[in-house]
Amino acid sequence: MDNFEKHIRKNKAQFDGQKADRVKLWANIEAKLDPPKQKVIPLWKSPMLRIAATVLIVLGISRLLGVSFLSNSDSENSFVSRELQDIDMHYQGLVSYQVQLVQKNESLSDADKAEFLSFMDELDVEYEQLRLEMQNNLDNDLVLEAIVSNYRKRIELIENLLRQLNKSKLKDDDYGYTL
Amino acid sequence: METEIRFTHKSLVESSKSGDRNSQHQLYELYVDAMYNIGMRFLGIKEDAEDIVQDSFVDAFKNLHNFKYESTFGSWLKRIVINKSINHLKVKRLPLAAMEDHEYHLTEEQSYEPVDAMDIEKIKRGIEKLPLGYKNIINLYLLEGYDHMEIGEVMGISVSTSKSQYHRAKKKLVEIIKTL
Repeated sequence: MDNFEKHIRKNKAQFDGQKADRVKLWANIEAKLDPPKQKVIPLWKSPMLRIAATVLIVLGISRLLGVSFLSNSDSENSFVSRELQDIDMHYQGLVSYQVQLVQKNESLSDADKAEFLSFMDELDVEYEQLRLEMQNNLDNDLVLEAIVSNYRKRIELIENLLRQLNKSKLKDDDYGYTL
Repeated sequence: METEIRFTHKSLVESSKSGDRNSQHQLYELYVDAMYNIGMRFLGIKEDAEDIVQDSFVDAFKNLHNFKYESTFGSWLKRIVINKSINHLKVKRLPLAAMEDHEYHLTEEQSYEPVDAMDIEKIKRGIEKLPLGYKNIINLYLLEGYDHMEIGEVMGISVSTSKSQYHRAKKKLVEIIKTL
């Protein structure tokens, strides 16, 4: 290497006189780089933590499903039972009032009363079946309709009975009147 | 001693490898001017040099996991800038080396009398006036400190061609400086 070469290498710094637009270049570089990585703690490397996490996830999922299932059935049950309560309140009053009328009726023999009440018992059994049916969450509207018609049958039965009793009373009265 | 030099800025390099933007920025600040000057010497156009420097830093940070301290980070980065600059010139189809009759180059060492050749400003202007091929070889050998083996690799020429071209370039440079 001659003096000329040595001189240039020795003064190399003087050849680096240009200044870069640092801010502009860095902005362009940064835009092309991936977003900075977040430090990730490798929890999955520990088998115990892996099992624990799996159990937690399974529990979490089952709980979520369970809660949503229960909450669904709860709201549905409460809705249905409220409707049933309304029906019961309406008809049970009517039925029990009329059953009392029948039982108090003196013109009916005990045998007739027993026969009438056995009909009512049959309808009670049917009513209980319908209630169970509704708990099985089948077609609720149909079951409710059946319960209503069950009540109506009882009332109809009682009304018929009472009407017949009144009729026979009237006949007796008429005879009495004509006689 | 050489080992210590290779590991210059090791902690910055390592945290940059894991994507730490602050460390990457510190490395950038340390090397950007040097890299920009290399780009300017090869390409001569500000916008081209900026593009090359930007791309080089992006490539360097994205491929930093491949850097195994076989050289300093600065040398590794410089190699990227030089390769990109040479490729840029190839794409522009500019002649990388003046190839005329280099086979017949006389190998005897000529003496270059000082004259005004020691005036750095004149040398800089003289280099600018060199044909592109000569300029690249002068830059690589005298300013970037590459040997002829490395110049051969970067320029895609043989070691002997690199040597002969360098001697011709140096002779031409002195001639130009004398006229300044």
